Amino acid sequence: MYPWIWRHLPGPAAVRVVSAAVLILGVVALLMFVVFPWVEPMLPFNQVTTQ
Amino acid sequence: MVGGPDSPERPPARGPGLGTKIVRGLGELLVTAGVIVLLFVVYEVYVTDWMSASKQQDANQALDDKWRNERTLHADPLDGESFARMYIPSFGADYKFAIQEGTGAQSLDVGPGHYTETAMPGHPGNFAVAGHRVGKGAPFNDIDLLNSCDAIVVETGDSFFIYRVLPKKDEVAGWAHGAGKRPQCAKVEPMLAPDEPDGGLYGKTFGQEIVLPNQGEVINPIPNQPENAAPIAQRASLMTLTTCHPRFSDRERLIVHAVMVKQYPKDPKNPGQLPPEMEEQA
Repeated sequence: MYPWIWRHLPGPAAVRVVSAAVLILGVVALLMFVVFPWVEPMLPFNQVTTQ
Repeated sequence: MVGGPDSPERPPARGPGLGTKIVRGLGELLVTAGVIVLLFVVYEVYVTDWMSASKQQDANQALDDKWRNERTLHADPLDGESFARMYIPSFGADYKFAIQEGTGAQSLDVGPGHYTETAMPGHPGNFAVAGHRVGKGAPFNDIDLLNSCDAIVVETGDSFFIYRVLPKKDEVAGWAHGAGKRPQCAKVEPMLAPDEPDGGLYGKTFGQEIVLPNQGEVINPIPNQPENAAPIAQRASLMTLTTCHPRFSDRERLIVHAVMVKQYPKDPKNPGQLPPEMEEQA
């Protein structure tokens, strides 16, 4: 998967490194701001109230 | 997460076999999954703290503005609205959280949340508040460390209410000659009535208890008694904190009960004045 992405990034190595870094940041941001906040309410340590 | 320096610049002369491809792909997926789990830990432990810290700051600012400008302070707060502030001096001078109305996820993201149907600060009954113990600023991270008689100060628009943690179950018997002799315990007494069956109305109210998640009766006007156990006139003014227990689990709930011992009306001519209890150290 990762070698495949690397092969398909355009430009010389330096440009590829930059675009790879941008991709990683994008994925991390997606996780932090979209995926994790969505998953989180289903996890046990957020249940702090009695019923 | 990138294929590091070992990523092939030039494709090998003959492509890898199918088995190699599958094993490699599986390895990459597992490594990726591990990294995602680690990122989630970072998110839970740090990122939610940052997010909640800024929300909490906004809530405190909103409270200050409201208290400065608003005349009708006794209107019931709307869901999610900040309406009070709590301090626990024994946790340090910087322990200060705005309390929001309601215990939904949005309220609790900002800070401690007030169970809507329970009493308001200073009122007879049970002012019950829930808070996170992991992430989101973790306001109730350490409430298991609260000792009997530790002060919990609740500030509203017009007053400071001093609550003190009730004696714990194992301290009740020797209270008068033991733990109860400390100066901060001057107005704290075990609430159970020794000569009544089961200790009377407050026979099951102690400083700390660990209960199952469905034991909602801990936040009743008189904890662990039916809602209508006694008329309002017979109710003490209590405060109850709830959070998850053990830490990182939802198996049980940690409950702390405190009783109101004092009220200081705010002096409009002297706005920055704080009650002396705020100086108490651990």
